[in-house]
Amino acid sequence: MGGNEEKIRELADRLLRDGEVDLIIGHERGTLPLRSSPCFVTDPEDLDRLIWDPTCDINLAKYLHDREEHIGILAKGCDARSIAVCASEGQVEMDKVVIIGLPCPGVISRKKIEAEMAGRDILDATVTDEKITVKGEGFEKEFPTKTFLDDSCLSCRHRNPPVYDVLIGDPLPEVADGDEYAEVDELESKSAEERWDHFVDEISVCIRCYSCRNVCPMCYCKECFVDETMPAWFGKTNEITDTMIYHLVRAIHLTGRCVDCGACSRACPMDINLRALTKKAEKIARERFNFEAGLSPEETPVLGAFKQEDSEEFII
Amino acid sequence: MKYKAIAKDSIQGFIDGLIERRRVFAPVEGEKTLRFREVSSGEEVCLDFYNTKLSSKEILFPQNEVLFKYSKDLGAIEAKAGISKNGEWVIFGIRPCDAKGLTLTDVFFSSGEHGDQPYLDKRGRTAIVGLACNRPLNSCFCTSLGSGPFGEEGMDLLLMDLGEKYLVKVLTEWGVRLIEATQGLEDASEDDIETAMKLSREAEKSIRTEMPTEGLSEKLDGMFEDPLWDSVHQKCVGCGVCTFVCPTCWCFDVVDEETPTSASRIRLWDTCQFPLFTLQGSGFNPRPTRKERMRQRVMHKLNYFPKEFGAFACVGCGRCVRECPVNLDIREIIRSVMSE
Repeated sequence: MGGNEEKIRELADRLLRDGEVDLIIGHERGTLPLRSSPCFVTDPEDLDRLIWDPTCDINLAKYLHDREEHIGILAKGCDARSIAVCASEGQVEMDKVVIIGLPCPGVISRKKIEAEMAGRDILDATVTDEKITVKGEGFEKEFPTKTFLDDSCLSCRHRNPPVYDVLIGDPLPEVADGDEYAEVDELESKSAEERWDHFVDEISVCIRCYSCRNVCPMCYCKECFVDETMPAWFGKTNEITDTMIYHLVRAIHLTGRCVDCGACSRACPMDINLRALTKKAEKIARERFNFEAGLSPEETPVLGAFKQEDSEEFII
Repeated sequence: MKYKAIAKDSIQGFIDGLIERRRVFAPVEGEKTLRFREVSSGEEVCLDFYNTKLSSKEILFPQNEVLFKYSKDLGAIEAKAGISKNGEWVIFGIRPCDAKGLTLTDVFFSSGEHGDQPYLDKRGRTAIVGLACNRPLNSCFCTSLGSGPFGEEGMDLLLMDLGEKYLVKVLTEWGVRLIEATQGLEDASEDDIETAMKLSREAEKSIRTEMPTEGLSEKLDGMFEDPLWDSVHQKCVGCGVCTFVCPTCWCFDVVDEETPTSASRIRLWDTCQFPLFTLQGSGFNPRPTRKERMRQRVMHKLNYFPKEFGAFACVGCGRCVRECPVNLDIREIIRSVMSE
């Protein structure tokens, strides 16, 4: 990651000056320690705002919807796969996008680092590929970046963007350090009642802010099922019957489309582990149909296709 | 005596005493995060925190609240009010920013010819016990919005953490009644008051955000069509976090949940950040994009509300800054406006 910012800025500068793109979408330093924020640059003079480090945890593919301009976009493996899914579903025109692919060793989990702070406020932080240094009132702590990565990064299968126009940085070995389905497997081993109790505990704190939906590049519906009012499709309260339906239906809608970027879990203000649901859906798509979303913009969405050899063990 | 002191190990007893005759709501750990919940014992209360994830607005203005129920048997409609009117409540351990937020919420729900009875019924019987803020977060900016970490607005009692004990400042007659029967309460010494003032100064000094807001409202007067709004919303993903965690966002929706024979009329939190908020029956939406919706949020807090009621509808608690999934920071917007 580190060391590539200059190359990114140089490329972006060329793309803007040559008129190849009208807009660069990347990341900039956030206003709080450990945070980055999306950055929209049209003037080459502003390109020094662009950063690329393990705080760049936002899936920028979200910002490609409903855009008229030609756009150069910075893309980690998961961003690039999200773009590919959106393209395969007719939501993004690939010839209007220049994907600046960035091999990504993973983004940090703020929540994990904050959990280590025992309630102390972080006032300043520096983050490199190797270490995270945080400072506050009377303390300074260091963490190895590798062990404080977001859960989705710990078991990432596509650290190198499978789709890109230009690649900046050396490709990384594709290794998943973690057992990616450990959590799903554990949930599967429980009884239906235990699983229900688990998800009731998780979901009951939902405040229906829809940050999970709104940061997700796959949630682009002009009218989401939860927003149907004439007539309303289901209740709008934060009672468990309503919130559970929202989260379950959303997970089902993401089956075969979710690239497991983890943006939903990172966004949730109530710390709901939304990934447990989407990861299960991802697992089903992979096991049943040998399908991984977002490997090519030409792919046919798995639930929109039929093949003779499709698994049918669930058809009675 | 306006000041009392209570040892920290007596505070549970104080809360238990309050619970004997009142319903008490206080910060509680659990449910994944710290938030205000009704407590049945002082043991459950957590008073060592920066601030709660959600403000205490969820006690007086719950995310969903049954206003009344009605049945449709034999064509007759019988309405039952969903609100019980008995007893005194206490919100315990509210930070000064949130207590100030409550005073603004009061202004809003009291406005108009009738006021908002579901809110005012609860508010009228709720005493507020504040907890001063020794360690503001670096996302806090209360001092830029006319309040401070030791602010007293909207409280009946203010507790100040002196380490081994709390200094208790009695601010109203209601506050006097709250501590009447409290065991372990003693008169505060001059030293205690001196220590609290020192802590107050230190806390205020530790707030890192210094942001001029003088003339902000007037500045926004001429900015409805400003190009600022074309860019400032760009990173917004249009979720409702900023408004739901905000102590001074009180917009709501009202829905009926029906069965064939009965129904409940429910009030729900709503947010100007959702397109549905202004979608009209005809299909027309006067705030069709995030640009208009972002402008609405900023203008309402910093221009419309001040013009109508004489105060910003923002208390600088910093929750929207901390919780925004894309780090869209209202302080940056205020700075941009001020530098125009």
